[in-house]
Amino acid sequence: MSAVALAIALLVAGGLFARRALLLFRIVRAGAPSNRFGEIPDRARAEAVVVVGQSKLLQRLGPGLMHAVIFWGFLVLFPTIVIAMIGAVDPHATLPWLGAQGWYATLVDAFAVLVLAGVIAAFYIRKVQRPARFKGSHLGEADVILAWIAGIVISLLAWHSSQIALGLNDYPREWAPVSNLLAHTLSGSWVSILERVAVWTHVLLILGFLVYLPYSKHLHILVAAVNVFFTRTRARGRLEPVDFEKPEAEVRLGAATASDLTWKQILDTMSCTECGRCQDACPAYNTGKELSPKLLIMALRDQVRAQSDKPLVPNAVTDNVVWDCVTCGACIQECPVGIEHIDHIVDLRRNLVMLESRFPEEAGTMLRDVDRASNPWGKAPSDRTSWAEGLGVRVLQPGEAPPDVLLWVGCAPAFDERARQGAISTAKLLLAAGVDFAILGPRESCTGDPARRMGDEYTYQRLAKDNVATLNASKVTKIVTTCPHCFNTIGNEYPDFGGRYEVVHHTEFLAELVRDGKLQPVAGDRTITYHDSCYLARHNDVIGAPRELAAASGKTVEMARHGKRTFCCGAGGARMWMEERGKPINEERVREAASTGADTLAVGCPFCTVMLDDGVRNTGTKLQVIDLASLLSEAVERKRAQGSAT
Amino acid sequence: MVLNAEGTALETKHLGFTISPHEECGVEEAVRLIEAGGGESVVLTLGPPDAVEQLRDAMALGIDRAIHLQTDGGEWDGQATAAALVEAIRADETASEPFDLIFFGNESADAGGFQVGIRVARALSRPCVTGLKGLKVEGSSVRCEQDANGGRDVYAVPLPAVLTVKEGLNLPRYPSVPGRMRAARKPVATATPVRPEARLEMTRLSVPGGQGRKTEMLGSGAAAAPRVVEMLRNVGVL
Amino acid sequence: MSVLVLMEEGDPSQQALTLARAFGDPLHAVRMEAASPFAPDAVAAILQRAADDLAATAVFAAGTDRGNDVMARLAARMDLPFAANCVEATLGDPVVVVRSRWGGSLLETANLHSPRALITVQPHAVRVSDGPPPIDVDVKPYLETLEPADRLVQVEEHVAPPGGGVSLAEAKVVVSGGRGVGSKEGFAIIEELAGLLGARVGCSRVVTSAGWRPHADQVGQTGTKISPDLYIACGISGATQHMAGCKGAKRILAINSDPEAPIMSLADYAVVGDLKEVVPAISAEIKKLR
Repeated sequence: MSAVALAIALLVAGGLFARRALLLFRIVRAGAPSNRFGEIPDRARAEAVVVVGQSKLLQRLGPGLMHAVIFWGFLVLFPTIVIAMIGAVDPHATLPWLGAQGWYATLVDAFAVLVLAGVIAAFYIRKVQRPARFKGSHLGEADVILAWIAGIVISLLAWHSSQIALGLNDYPREWAPVSNLLAHTLSGSWVSILERVAVWTHVLLILGFLVYLPYSKHLHILVAAVNVFFTRTRARGRLEPVDFEKPEAEVRLGAATASDLTWKQILDTMSCTECGRCQDACPAYNTGKELSPKLLIMALRDQVRAQSDKPLVPNAVTDNVVWDCVTCGACIQECPVGIEHIDHIVDLRRNLVMLESRFPEEAGTMLRDVDRASNPWGKAPSDRTSWAEGLGVRVLQPGEAPPDVLLWVGCAPAFDERARQGAISTAKLLLAAGVDFAILGPRESCTGDPARRMGDEYTYQRLAKDNVATLNASKVTKIVTTCPHCFNTIGNEYPDFGGRYEVVHHTEFLAELVRDGKLQPVAGDRTITYHDSCYLARHNDVIGAPRELAAASGKTVEMARHGKRTFCCGAGGARMWMEERGKPINEERVREAASTGADTLAVGCPFCTVMLDDGVRNTGTKLQVIDLASLLSEAVERKRAQGSAT
Repeated sequence: MVLNAEGTALETKHLGFTISPHEECGVEEAVRLIEAGGGESVVLTLGPPDAVEQLRDAMALGIDRAIHLQTDGGEWDGQATAAALVEAIRADETASEPFDLIFFGNESADAGGFQVGIRVARALSRPCVTGLKGLKVEGSSVRCEQDANGGRDVYAVPLPAVLTVKEGLNLPRYPSVPGRMRAARKPVATATPVRPEARLEMTRLSVPGGQGRKTEMLGSGAAAAPRVVEMLRNVGVL
Repeated sequence: MSVLVLMEEGDPSQQALTLARAFGDPLHAVRMEAASPFAPDAVAAILQRAADDLAATAVFAAGTDRGNDVMARLAARMDLPFAANCVEATLGDPVVVVRSRWGGSLLETANLHSPRALITVQPHAVRVSDGPPPIDVDVKPYLETLEPADRLVQVEEHVAPPGGGVSLAEAKVVVSGGRGVGSKEGFAIIEELAGLLGARVGCSRVVTSAGWRPHADQVGQTGTKISPDLYIACGISGATQHMAGCKGAKRILAINSDPEAPIMSLADYAVVGDLKEVVPAISAEIKKLR
């Protein structure tokens, strides 16, 4: 009788679940392609660390532990689902071997209590602490899920304790301390009824949960682990290119509607738990802009679920939301379920720019300048060498033998007076260290990064191919660049266009020269705080080398948001060329820097230099913004002066 | 139908430089006129082989087809350029339809501008109005606005006409990628005109002395005011 | 050798006259207002007749919009070459001219092979030197022989520009204020100077962010790009984004208290000082002239 009941329950629940799950699976399958099938060992490692190890969640200790115990509890308690179903049919039966293990009973008891504690902690966080990251999330749904989990665990404890009270346990009762304790309080004829009610409640709650799962954000328990597996492992700063070679009707120009999204993007929307960690970290959101990465993904999820073919902009998100993003990646860094928000934003931008020509007007000026003059400022390419006048830097001519190292200058240092300090210092240091290097001079053209981040993939690919042709013809193999954006695109993205070079950031190269003794600095009495550039630290893991240079130049002190959790300067995502609304992101960062008590704000990026310098001027802060190369130059000079003084 | 038009031709005379902002506004205006009233638009240029890029850019904005008068990159003065264009335009009008409007950029970035449009108009016996910031086709005539004396002078001329336009006439659209891809397939007719003797013959180019602004210090504080005023008079502002 | 000059009000015609004097005397003049309402083909027709009657070996005009327009038409009518925007002109066989290209960043030297040299002179590039005024040509007989075709292109009316007042993008002179102005009220002295020069007021991004002036006044990469004859930047440091908006200016005057500010080496003229003192002083000096 019970077996029939269980079978029916399983069939119904399983059937309902399968039908919905199949629909979701088909939606994912119908998504546009995305190549994420290589690097299996790296993916497996990420799975172990991020999913099993809960590493991203544990970045916040309290909520992290809370979730970790519930998650690990789910893993440990999983076999009890089978045990319960067996027990529902026959109270005397259990899983062979595992059902009789005392140590397993201990684990079950321990984790049941921990899960309950986790649920209580979760309620405390949501109801009492009420962190801002939940603004906009569906709190009601979360309450239901937490209550359901509590119900599952409580019914499990009730079942175990009533089984023990009835002597039905196959494991030694002392090994289940909590259930044992509870069992002592149970006596009387109603305990056998309790035992039946508890196990069936438990089974039905679980089956009900199964049916509810694919309709709620709790779907993440199935999808998130898969999503994390398919997240980028290395080359996190690399965007997937558009294939323009296809027949015109098949070229995917970003995403206009939900059906244009890639399968990974669709999986992203299904993985979101509305936790808001991304929102908390987003520089745009935290300075009063419309963009919230969480709300963006939730809005896209709604369109995907509805299988809507309405244009995503403006039906899911407004134009402002699309343009507010600085592509800093803080959202991706925080996300525990592997969502890659930047892919969504860039695909929305690609469609707006390439199909509809719909974007902030001032950014159009930059796109035209990049297209016509090969630099975002529209200045003459022949001016690219004026920063190097008088330095004795070799300009590589076509056909000449390649140098050991090509110094890729980038547009900012070439055309912006403030941004060029880093390049000048770098050149001087390379000369002093006797490095065989050269620059391309007027043959350099914009790497195309601002165009690509804006969504103008067409212009980007043209520039990328031109640069690859120039670089390949010059036969250089190693490139050093002072700009993290150039560093990211040449190193991570140019291989897609036939350009494979060893690309190194100038701080890495200079740090190596210092380690090898070719440059000898001595630290001075500056108090330096180093601002990690997003495209160095977060997208590309370059964190140590800049710090070596800072430490070689003076006393160092860290900002709270440093390393991979750095806070953007505000220039990324082509925002350098757009008007900013709300509070300025750069001023926010400058205030943080000033609060460390430092007198020097060290940077490794020409855009950070300009943005933070603007921030310092606008806020009147007593900070000197200076590139690490210039600090090193100062330190080397200091050593030389000491040497000649003695 | 505003234009029972057979065509609006757009000309971009250029000698190896990129499409100038004035010409771009002309292209945009032509595209808008055809979008509003139907007809066909053609872009024409005299220049070296890689000038075809500018023709593709114009077609990406919506121009239907192009004519490329290929040169070897040498200098063509205003008269020679105009003569070659006139011949090409006459040939096209015979083969296809006469143009209701021919647009030129008011001045290209270099020599030769200011006069090419006017010369072409004279050769074709059509009225020409220059430096336009506003225009409106009304039936078989066009009302044109030109900046002058702090306001605008208004002209009205019958079609067919030749107009030279200035940046500010409109805001050119940013070409969409499908537009660019289509432009790659649109037809470009090529011809190779023979360059006549130059009557305004360029002998050399030079960079004026003191290029790369050398800053002249006019003084410090309020005491510098008289020298500033002297400068203002010298440059013609006062 | 007789030389004909097309004259208008203003310095550019005086500058054209200066170059013309080297080509011969007496100088004769036809005024731009000869055909009223203004019809460029009519003026060109009159010039042609007058030049023929005077056997002029050269016709000069200022390289203004109207000057270039009329002279180009004259050249088309006569099928002669035309050298526009010259900064030098030397009599000889052939005539040698130096022309301004790329807005003055490049100079072209050229030989003008023509029985009658048709030349316009780049405004504000030639120093005016005094001399006898030209003899006005009596145009009345020529007016009578004009053909209807010559009046086909004719000004019908003069209207105010749309949006009232010259826009920032089209202004010939712009006076801009930056952070150094200090406040919304601080712009009063900027507006005063602009008024005296018939100029538009502009500002930098810091000013619009602070709400002292509307975005429509902003000069820069993300604001309006301007190309005035003169740009006066007061209390503006000269960040790249701002300079991108005014790099088209023919001349830049920078007024800044910081001699190391980037703009101080990018401008053509500079005054080191507090704009709150310098700007009113300039205004006062201008008022003395009037």
